[in-house]
Amino acid sequence: MIELVLFVAVGLGLLVLLFLVMRRPPTAAEGAAGALVAAKRSLQVLQDGLLPTHLIERIFGTQDLEYVSSLKSKSLQDLFLRERKWLALAWVRQLRTQILSLKDFHTRQSRMFAGMSRATELSVALDFAGIQMECRLLQLLVQWRGPYASPRLVRQTATTATGLCAVLDKSLGFLTPSLAGGPQDDSSAGTTTL
Amino acid sequence: MIARDKRGDVLAAADEFRRRTLSHTTGPLDRLIYLASMRDYNTGLYYHQGLAARFSNEAACEALADCHREAFEELLSSPLADLVEQLETYMISTRTDPADFIQAWQGLEPYRVAVPVGTGSLSVEFLFSNLKIALAILEHQQARRPVPVSAA
Repeated sequence: MIELVLFVAVGLGLLVLLFLVMRRPPTAAEGAAGALVAAKRSLQVLQDGLLPTHLIERIFGTQDLEYVSSLKSKSLQDLFLRERKWLALAWVRQLRTQILSLKDFHTRQSRMFAGMSRATELSVALDFAGIQMECRLLQLLVQWRGPYASPRLVRQTATTATGLCAVLDKSLGFLTPSLAGGPQDDSSAGTTTL
Repeated sequence: MIARDKRGDVLAAADEFRRRTLSHTTGPLDRLIYLASMRDYNTGLYYHQGLAARFSNEAACEALADCHREAFEELLSSPLADLVEQLETYMISTRTDPADFIQAWQGLEPYRVAVPVGTGSLSVEFLFSNLKIALAILEHQQARRPVPVSAA
């Protein structure tokens, strides 16, 4: 009788264990794959949506400002500056968000970057810190003095971000084929390594 | 191999569409609105009977999507002064009263549904913002234009 109770107890214990195992969150490998794809997407948003030179020049360039100024209307100038300021802030905000997402991935999944040399690793860490600082500073300047406050800082931030993207893209290049097919994939195809 | 043939069809269809149809449009804004009007709102697919008959439904759809993206990129890179000019040309082509046109575009913002799928959010916001400014400039220019005096 005691043996039967023991068998039933062990059986129930195993069932509970099985239930707990089934309810466990995704394994580290599944999580890492998801994080890899998310990082690759962040890179694509940066390279195709935020860092193309022509878009930065259109937002922060003064060509349109000169045209609006020539119309000699205070209300039009105010509207133009308000709209451009909003866009400039949106650019900085989105850039910072994507960079933070990449930094988060880089620190949590550092084993993916095993092929990176110490010097590159250090340069990437410095770039992450630098861009975050530049974004904060740019945000304050645009908020305070408008979108044309510091074209040099805009250029510098974009250049650092582009360089950082190139280094990370090289490390995540093996993921490119699985993400191909999007409308904007063609433009980034030249910069990725297979 | 099949994929390459398919892409070849799409390129040929897009090329034909550019030569036969888009060459008659006045600018990227006109093209963007025209191409958006060929897209089914419910499915997001583009339809063109002639092009589909000559190639295939799929090739025609992809070719029109390519042309749509092209028009969007072109419009995005237009300086504000050009955009104002394009908007005025488009307004004249619709034969609508300028005041009514400006009021409808400012109120309904019809350009919001003319954006190709998969476009970056910042590019879209940039175009909307530029169109908003262009409409204000056009309104300002219309208000300053002398009212024609009818002959007594």
